Amino acid sequence: MTDERDEQFDERLRDAAKEYNTPPAVPRAEMWRRIEAARRTPAVLPFRTPVWKRPFVVIPAAAALLALGIAIGRQSAPGLPVSSPTLAAPAGESSSADRDRSSVASQFATTEHLSQVETLLTEFEVSEGSPEFSGRAQDLLTTTRLMLDSKRVTDVRTRKLLSDLELVLTQIATIDPKDRREDLDFIADGLAQNYLRTRLRNAIPSGPAIRL
Amino acid sequence: MPQNRVDPLEPRGWVETKELIARVLSGDPEAERTLYDTYVDRVYRLIYRMVGEPDRAADYTQDTFIRTYDRLSTFRGESALSTWITAIAISVVYNGQRKVKRMRTREVDLEHADPVATPERSADPDLKLRLAQAIDELPEGYRTVFVMHDVEGYTHEEIGTALGIQEGTSKAQLSRARAKLRRHLAAFAGGWHS
Repeated sequence: MTDERDEQFDERLRDAAKEYNTPPAVPRAEMWRRIEAARRTPAVLPFRTPVWKRPFVVIPAAAALLALGIAIGRQSAPGLPVSSPTLAAPAGESSSADRDRSSVASQFATTEHLSQVETLLTEFEVSEGSPEFSGRAQDLLTTTRLMLDSKRVTDVRTRKLLSDLELVLTQIATIDPKDRREDLDFIADGLAQNYLRTRLRNAIPSGPAIRL
Repeated sequence: MPQNRVDPLEPRGWVETKELIARVLSGDPEAERTLYDTYVDRVYRLIYRMVGEPDRAADYTQDTFIRTYDRLSTFRGESALSTWITAIAISVVYNGQRKVKRMRTREVDLEHADPVATPERSADPDLKLRLAQAIDELPEGYRTVFVMHDVEGYTHEEIGTALGIQEGTSKAQLSRARAKLRRHLAAFAGGWHS
């Protein structure tokens, strides 16, 4: 199915889904009577074991903290192209020269990032979806989000590519070992449907220029 | 906590909600009823969408409010109260449904049925029925995000807060759910596109 057909299908899906388990009138009074009864005399209703434990809150929070640390480390690490010190320029030329340098640095950083993503996707595929790539995917996901938040990446096609990569990287980063086969199918579908490999290759200039 | 916070998710406004919480915590029965009346429709709707049975939806809704009152003193105001209550509702539904599923699995095992439905090739007169079956068969997390977003109109931000996941994860889950539904309903795609 093409993207356009998928979008049409999703639209129809959303419309049809509005009728999924359509709720009846809310039995407010009846439920309230039972809530009151349960609260005044707790033995009236069978209580389920309290299970208000939410590891799904704690684990992502820890992962997010880790990712933030990595991101800060990357931003403050010396030698990164985006944070290279700018050279002094004669007055009047400085703003356009700064813009040029900033643009080149931004392009370089974007290309470098896309290369890393392409490498990850290739290695991930060759390894048949090994979970060991989740950590790297999370790192790249953080960088992708930083780039999407950055005003330096202005090219529409690049932003769309980053946005599509964000989804695939999220899928790889959150791959569920219990549902692995299915997750891998979705990742493969996502790559194929959005022509991500082709778009990635087109976005990365070939030859030694990318390693300057 | 800002005193003048404007939260679009709070039907009563934050200051009013804060006062209501204080009254509930002081044991005011009228305030308890007001809190219930304010949020019950939203809670029941979501729960009904997720379970599809009136009796169980009512049970889970009751349980959600009982827990809400019991735990209200721990509400820190880091999210809208409605989102906090939604998180409780989802937890109640998950736990309740797991028990139901375990019971049903035992019954199905005894009756030798194959729990995995395969798409029929023949024309099905009721696509909505097939869609409902396909949604029912989605993995728990995908189904929750799909129902919350595409059926009940929650935003990814609300879903993320209620489920304790990132917005991006919510988007990814929704994308997976839709892809799975597309695949499941592929036999009907032609009819839908026409």
